[in-house]
Amino acid sequence: MDNNNRLNAKDLINVGIYTAICAVLCCAVAMTGIIPIMMVLLVVFVPLLTGIPYMMFLTKVKKFGMILIMNILMGAFMWIAGMSYYALVVGTIAGVVAELIYRAGGYKSKKMGILAYAVSGIYCWANYFGIFFNAEGYFATRQNFGQDYIDAVTNMLPLWMCPVLLVADIVCGLIGGWIGTKMLKKHFEKAGIV
Amino acid sequence: MKYSLDRNAHSFLDPRTKLLLLFTSSVFVVGNAGEKQMVVFYWILVFLPVLLLFAEREWKTGFAAIMIYVGSYLAGLALQHDLTALESALALMLYIITKILPTVILARYIVKSTKVSEFLAAMHRMHVSDKITIPVSVIFRFFPTVVEESKAINDAMRMRGVEFGAKKAAEAVEYRMVPLIASCSIIGEELSAAAMTRGLEVGKKRSCIWKIKFKFQDWIVTVFCLVCFIRWGIGWFYK
Repeated sequence: MDNNNRLNAKDLINVGIYTAICAVLCCAVAMTGIIPIMMVLLVVFVPLLTGIPYMMFLTKVKKFGMILIMNILMGAFMWIAGMSYYALVVGTIAGVVAELIYRAGGYKSKKMGILAYAVSGIYCWANYFGIFFNAEGYFATRQNFGQDYIDAVTNMLPLWMCPVLLVADIVCGLIGGWIGTKMLKKHFEKAGIV
Repeated sequence: MKYSLDRNAHSFLDPRTKLLLLFTSSVFVVGNAGEKQMVVFYWILVFLPVLLLFAEREWKTGFAAIMIYVGSYLAGLALQHDLTALESALALMLYIITKILPTVILARYIVKSTKVSEFLAAMHRMHVSDKITIPVSVIFRFFPTVVEESKAINDAMRMRGVEFGAKKAAEAVEYRMVPLIASCSIIGEELSAAAMTRGLEVGKKRSCIWKIKFKFQDWIVTVFCLVCFIRWGIGWFYK
């Protein structure tokens, strides 16, 4: 490790581990999207739940690039899991912004960490683009969900909900990040894991 | 038990082909791109993973996958009109199964049949940066671990009576999440140590003990995937 600013294997492995944890949590939560109201509330629950692992992850981040890689991987995972590529595009951009925010806090500041988490979490919001901008196409292939379900979801998601969901996502990201830091303090710092 | 190492003992397909196939499958089966024009390709992509499982002699899993798939497909056909709310939820579940199962089977096949070093070597030959390949291989390795750990923690918490009730929801989440992250971070430390001993940090070119090369079947699958995308691309212009 002659060059301290380059990402070494340990950093990359950390990225992999926390991405895996977040991906499993996302999957577990996304399963509840079967109920129409939960489909909309995913944008609330995913940021709230992944906050804890994410804040833990941020304590390991000391170099440029880790948050970005994690966001790219999460976006790619969303794509493979059947959402569209929007999450990858938005996630990558959000990753760069979050990276810069966290760097502005010197990779230490907890407040900046919470903000970075809230920003990087908006890939979750990007998953709804398909419903907002291409609703016909989105449901054309999902006809056998039953018309009730389709009506319920489209009624809950008119176009003006798009910015509302973004705000909801960021606010929940802030709350999730705050819960995450609380948890870190309560459990992990005492135990000496952080 | 006798142990011997056969250097040619790689799986039926090359890691690169597997990734291309996974990508194709997620675009056309899960993402449902192209719809009607792609029907033939769709069905090939649905049953290809099972053939791959058979190629690896995983008969049981393969047959189970076919049974589940055909079962839920037929049930989905039966549940198409005039659904009540409950039936609609059921239909949705069946739909998700028929969409995701082929890709899940494929992903499972890839994880089971690809060795991490094989994957890293193949990616290195494609000049993909370490910064992507190492996290991806860790995810492959770690995904089952996370699920396993969370199952064990879930059991322990149920035994203590920490359930997802209305009152204790926050507590229930906290008591599951914290041990999960703690144990995962410890496993992560061990993984980093293991990677260190395997020379992942040396920065020189790594050699791989298994032979990696494109074989006849790889070319077939690759050409098939490309044809899928070309057919889709043509479909954009000529409906």
